[in-house]
Amino acid sequence: MLIPRTRTVGLAALSALLTIGLAACGAASTTASSGAPKDIVIGTLYSGSGSFANSSLPEFQGLKFWISQENAGGGVYVKAFNKKIPIKLVALNDQSSTTTATTEYEQLVTQDNINIFVPDFGSVLTLPAVTIAQEHHMLLFDQTATGSPLFTPGNQYIVLCDLPLSAIWPDPLGHFILAQHISRVAILYGANDFDATQAATVKSVLAQGGVTPVYYQAVPTATTSYGTLLHDIAATNPQAVIELGYASNDIPFLQAVQQGGYHFGMVVTAFPGQQYTLIENAVGKAGLSYTYTYGVPPYIKFNKVSEGLGTNAFISQFGHGSIANVSFENVAGYNTGLIIQAALGHATKFTQLGMRSALFALSGHFTTLDGAFKLNSEGGQVGELLPLAQFFPAGTGNAIKIVYPPASADHAPVYPAP
Amino acid sequence: MSSIAQRLRAGAGAVGRRPRRQVVGDVLLVVVPPAGFLVASLVYNNQLLLLTMMVYVALAQGLNVIFGFTGYLPFGYVGFFGAGAYGTALSVHFLHAPIALAILLGGLAGLLVAALLSPLLRLTGAYFAIASLAAAEALYYLISNPQLTAVTNGPYGVNLASVYNSGAAYLAAVVLVGVAMLCVVWVRRSHFGMALRAIRADPLAARLAGVNVVRARTIAWLISATLAGLAGAIYAWAVSVFYPEAVFDLSISVFAIVFALFGGVGTVLGPLLGAVILYGVYNYIGVSQPQDFQLIYGVLIVLIVLFLPNGLLSIRLRRLWRGR
Amino acid sequence: MLWLFALIAGVLFGLYYGLAALGLNLIFGVMRMVNLAHGDVIMLGGFAAVLLFDRFGVNPLVTVLLVIPPSLLVGYLTYYLLGRRVQRSRDPEMMSLVMFFGVSQVIEAVAVIAFGNNEASITSAVFGARPFSIAGQGVPGAWLVSAGVGLVALLLLFLYLYRTSLGRATRAIMSSPDEARAVGVNPDRISALTFGIGVGLAAIAGILSLFMIGGTTPSEGVDLTVTAFAVIVLGGLGSPMGTFLGGIVFGLALMFTQTFAPAWSGFAPFAILLAIMLLRPTGLLGRTVRSV
Repeated sequence: MLIPRTRTVGLAALSALLTIGLAACGAASTTASSGAPKDIVIGTLYSGSGSFANSSLPEFQGLKFWISQENAGGGVYVKAFNKKIPIKLVALNDQSSTTTATTEYEQLVTQDNINIFVPDFGSVLTLPAVTIAQEHHMLLFDQTATGSPLFTPGNQYIVLCDLPLSAIWPDPLGHFILAQHISRVAILYGANDFDATQAATVKSVLAQGGVTPVYYQAVPTATTSYGTLLHDIAATNPQAVIELGYASNDIPFLQAVQQGGYHFGMVVTAFPGQQYTLIENAVGKAGLSYTYTYGVPPYIKFNKVSEGLGTNAFISQFGHGSIANVSFENVAGYNTGLIIQAALGHATKFTQLGMRSALFALSGHFTTLDGAFKLNSEGGQVGELLPLAQFFPAGTGNAIKIVYPPASADHAPVYPAP
Repeated sequence: MSSIAQRLRAGAGAVGRRPRRQVVGDVLLVVVPPAGFLVASLVYNNQLLLLTMMVYVALAQGLNVIFGFTGYLPFGYVGFFGAGAYGTALSVHFLHAPIALAILLGGLAGLLVAALLSPLLRLTGAYFAIASLAAAEALYYLISNPQLTAVTNGPYGVNLASVYNSGAAYLAAVVLVGVAMLCVVWVRRSHFGMALRAIRADPLAARLAGVNVVRARTIAWLISATLAGLAGAIYAWAVSVFYPEAVFDLSISVFAIVFALFGGVGTVLGPLLGAVILYGVYNYIGVSQPQDFQLIYGVLIVLIVLFLPNGLLSIRLRRLWRGR
Repeated sequence: MLWLFALIAGVLFGLYYGLAALGLNLIFGVMRMVNLAHGDVIMLGGFAAVLLFDRFGVNPLVTVLLVIPPSLLVGYLTYYLLGRRVQRSRDPEMMSLVMFFGVSQVIEAVAVIAFGNNEASITSAVFGARPFSIAGQGVPGAWLVSAGVGLVALLLLFLYLYRTSLGRATRAIMSSPDEARAVGVNPDRISALTFGIGVGLAAIAGILSLFMIGGTTPSEGVDLTVTAFAVIVLGGLGSPMGTFLGGIVFGLALMFTQTFAPAWSGFAPFAILLAIMLLRPTGLLGRTVRSV
């Protein structure tokens, strides 16, 4: 048995270690003086590995591209000081873990003296930042987290930058189905906030037109085998099959459609529009032809913009001229930068709430390559709507064309699929 | 058999006449760690990191109670953590319980789930480990099920913003560390702990010596689960908004196991040291080397096992023996 | 006839799950080591098939043969560099778990560096674009190929274990390492070989997983490890036949809930695992052991 003295020594050593270690971690904190800061510090997280990495990293690249552009021009213009100030980026890797993300968000806010707080990709990894932003009175420049629990009436410290709330994503999709007089609709969705919210929206839009889905089921988000589910869906004779999941669901789903030799009039999945190159590589050209997806930038183009590069200029500078090198996440990350730029460029006071009111003043009068920027009272994005797009065979791959609503369409839909 | 009976009697005797120095040592073991975390929060203001570290201390110690003293390793330990988080959330939503009570109810949720799963203790070794994992997964799929949205809010997650209080949550976690240390010190010193170790050494002999094997194991199991339930409850309060996958994340189990084993299970100080050091190192790498976070941490763990296969405290023991 | 399709799909997926778990069971049975990096090896097998197909047009069935020699080598080295040292610790079962957690982290990190984070796959047209008809149900050809490879692997493993001297030595170590040593079996050599075979089986399962679960990504290892563990415990530790039975039970549970209650298809396989464990504490075909 250990003698108690050793234990006491151990404990003393432990507390010393703890204190020294923590003191070392906590860099000397300097409070910003009343004058202009030396640089604008942006703090963000990215997922270097894990299930969100394939969306998070391209988004992070987009943000870094914006920073390098601004710094090349001497920094970002800050209206409150009427001058350009260089940007400094502090980025930590959360490895797609919410637990790790939580402590690292707190790290950014409490240790790194950041001025601008940008969370990681998507609702799952952004959610822990919401409480921290509120607690420390930092405005959260939410990039792509569109889930319902993020936005609450009392919370002033969040603005959604790059995508509309998930509840309004599938609005055009629902109306397209009604316009085509499709009456037999099957909906399969992932059991997570993001997908369940979209499924509920489609269902309610369809209900307005008197259409009740013939199949409406949730499956766990981890589902990767869709053969049996598709067989059951086919047994309900649907004209349209909508699968709402993440990219890791869409790929096995689209593969299973091919493997089983199924032919439906309309197949809809969420991510091929956002990650076209990746998903076409995985499922092949034929796997995507004539299927539908949400139309997102850079495939919907905005060249008349009030801030930053337009779509074509972005493709030429970021993607070296080829749209295949540009994913939606790249645009989203860059667009986050543009929203930050707008906030700093219009806020008369260099404060978190000053930036917020500047963005609310711009809401509805402001367009970027991501579309029309418009906020609701809770900071949720209600502009930047997602039209419906369809893939058409073209050369060795597919071309993405907007098919609905008619006002923004650049191609007539082909329904039913040949 | 008789030697075990003798040891048990000797152990019971030792409980009665404990040297004063040992009592002082035990009190320090219970008081110093929470005090250390209180002081730490004054010099370092990433409180969520410290709080998460305390949660891992409690989890590592909870695992220590069941694994270190009985040899049962629950892979699905995170199931109790999640049960605690949801127990608290549901208590706040449906019973409108004050938060202190809600946290105790979170601990109770962990205890109830463990009671329900106590037949699993009939399994051995890897069977037990995986069966507990299956239980945790089943619980996660139950709670996150869209068809139970009316009860658990299903995949839409939980919002505890109405009771959010970061300072109070931190103090609760400090208390939790004290409770966890107290549990382990008690198990280590008490007659009950002696019985557990006798069972671990030779269950058959212990039973012949009059130890109620099933009862002793079940009590250790319930203590362990309650600690995890309380940890989950306090973590839920501290982060206040979360999706179900965040509190049923399997890596929480794996981290707790790795921390406990690294420090050395079956000891009082080992899991504490393991959690503080390894979780500290984890965050240090995360902040200083974000690019190669996973790679460095993985290599570090492999090296630790290769060169320190019996836990951190084994070094100290070896030195101690040599010193004598 | 929804149930008939679920039955066929359940059995075919079961054979794939059995193959995916077989190597894990073998390694655990011989070395009492918990290879937490098993799923990551499956993932690497998938990437091997994708790379060889994309670069050189190698048919995935050929890759099944090609991965065997490097797997044996990797298994051999892993055992001598890492496994042997851990086996000498006080609690090899649990310390191996911690170590292979580290190994799993390293493999995932290296895979991200080497292959990126994106999901990679091969279009399933390589095994015929049209489904085959079985009992009036259209079954994807790729499922039949995977199940077939699983059965062949099981058969070969049986021949090895019961018809070769190395196999007999392997079984001797599985039932009692001390006695095996006493009759002159070199446990190191057998362990290293078994580790290689286990890695090889996992890599082969990874190639097939491209067609069964849609593709491979560096982060998929954990889920696959969990499934593999569930399958071997269901069937019984140390029993290759049991592993396939466990796989089929797992597959049927998944496919029947997908058919009749999709929202519960995550819950059901684990609930059934629990129920079976409570009725038969050593799995369906596990040997009964003394317990108190």
